[in-house]
Amino acid sequence: MAFSFFGILAVLLETIRPWLPLIIAVLVIDLALTVWLWARGGRSWSSGRRPALFAGAVIGVAAFFLAPWLTSARFSDLSGLLDWMAVFGGSVGVAVLAAVLLWPLMTILFGANARARG
Amino acid sequence: MLLKPFSGVLNSQARAAGNVDDQRRRLLKAAGLGGALAAVGGGTLLSSPASAMRTSARIVIVGAGAAGIAAANRLDQSLDGAEITVIDRRQRHLYQPGLTMVATGIWKTGKVVDRNDRYMPRAVNWIQDHVAEFDPDANRVVTTGGQVVPYDYLIVTTGLKVDYEAIEGMSPDLIGREGIGCVYDNPEHAERTWRMIDHYTTAGGVGLFTRGPGGIKCAGAPLKIAMLTEDLARRRGTRESLEMIYNSPGDGLFSQPDMDDFLKQEFPSRDIAINWHHRLKGIEPEARRATFATPDGDIRIDYDFIHVVPPMRAPDPLGNSSLAWQDGSFAADGNWMEVDQYSMRHRRYGNVFGAGDCVGTPIGKTAASVKAQVPVAVENLLSVIGDRETVASYDGYTSCPLITGRGRGILVEFDYALNMIPSFPFISPYREHWVPWVMKDRMLLPAYNAMLRGRI
Repeated sequence: MAFSFFGILAVLLETIRPWLPLIIAVLVIDLALTVWLWARGGRSWSSGRRPALFAGAVIGVAAFFLAPWLTSARFSDLSGLLDWMAVFGGSVGVAVLAAVLLWPLMTILFGANARARG
Repeated sequence: MLLKPFSGVLNSQARAAGNVDDQRRRLLKAAGLGGALAAVGGGTLLSSPASAMRTSARIVIVGAGAAGIAAANRLDQSLDGAEITVIDRRQRHLYQPGLTMVATGIWKTGKVVDRNDRYMPRAVNWIQDHVAEFDPDANRVVTTGGQVVPYDYLIVTTGLKVDYEAIEGMSPDLIGREGIGCVYDNPEHAERTWRMIDHYTTAGGVGLFTRGPGGIKCAGAPLKIAMLTEDLARRRGTRESLEMIYNSPGDGLFSQPDMDDFLKQEFPSRDIAINWHHRLKGIEPEARRATFATPDGDIRIDYDFIHVVPPMRAPDPLGNSSLAWQDGSFAADGNWMEVDQYSMRHRRYGNVFGAGDCVGTPIGKTAASVKAQVPVAVENLLSVIGDRETVASYDGYTSCPLITGRGRGILVEFDYALNMIPSFPFISPYREHWVPWVMKDRMLLPAYNAMLRGRI
């Protein structure tokens, strides 16, 4: 039974519904930090990129190793390319998402002052 | 499947159809993605655009399970001015596909319990009572409280009755005692079954796994209970102390032949013995002894744990009404409701449709079947209201995430012809994977909720 685009979207929205307040809070904080950084200026976004990528990579690796356990399964339950690709792809997705979300925070924490450098 | 209006319902149909104003169709409740996302936390998280048909038809839906609520939402989204009534006393909504997970200790009970009012459309009139009598000749139903509810169109989604009384000595009160488990009906039964399985996989002994004859809800559940019990014992290191016997009432384990072949190899390979043509006939709880009807006569087997799966049938008010099949296999099996298996429309009462566990179709007593049946029933009902030909057709789609152990399973999807029809071509329906397990554990409940809201 094929799922339409809106059908898949509806299922995804039902999946995240229990965590919606938390997700919205994280996005709002992230957006606020981004706006604040842009408005304030002076800090180099590129200097926060590397720490964000590092943190994303760490989180992605953790996601890879924790994924079976988080689903009450074990690595021995993974069978074939489909399962390994799912774990790998999911971990990469988590890593990218984490890096993007952490970028503003990392820029604040580790970002060099662009004007000072300039 | 094309059906013309039936003479017995022409008056009511004509009256309702006369109010249909296709020229005035307009976007109704079609908030669209942008608008819907603004309604975060509300009941309309996402609505797909739909054009609403104007009508004053009185539509009664009997039953507020998966099929009834999904139908109510779809009709609410598709009609403007209709008087939609849902009749069901139950305020609790159960995610029944999750009962196997509760009964094997993987999920807690709370995960499968929800409230009907969270999904019931606001515009729907909800009569919180049960139907005691169907009177399709008079286009009305009567509730147990004596309320007479007339209708122009009727959708029957009552679900089914687990017939414990059909097994001599069996009663739902016994579930959770004397080594008796039964995953069906409600989470309390599933939780009590878990207590029995928990003890059995620790203490060991003889475990009997049964399956009711004929059409039963989620026919994969008895198999999953057996395999998950075996898997649990293996994880606990007690497998050698368990003697497991699966008792099939016929000569197969699963209706889909490829899966049947797989299971006929899988069970012996896991040291689960199979008794063919063993129908559970009676039980002696105190003696922990079960009686099976076999071609060679009745035999008795002592047990330490037994998973009882009684036969199932249509609820009495439906099964005893003229809406039920009057003869043939579906009448003999469980007095199931008579519908055309493709259009989901009653074969004798043209203003009546059915969906879900209560209908007599060759396969399809699963939530996945409901997902496929309800859109067909609703679309064809809309066609009848609009005086158009009914063209939507149900192909028998059903699905079973056949969980073979904690952490793995096979996503089995097939149709009336018993052909595999995978929704996701990259997931093999012939091989155990982790991904179907993740879908069962994490994705199917959200999909079910989306179905309830009429969005898939």
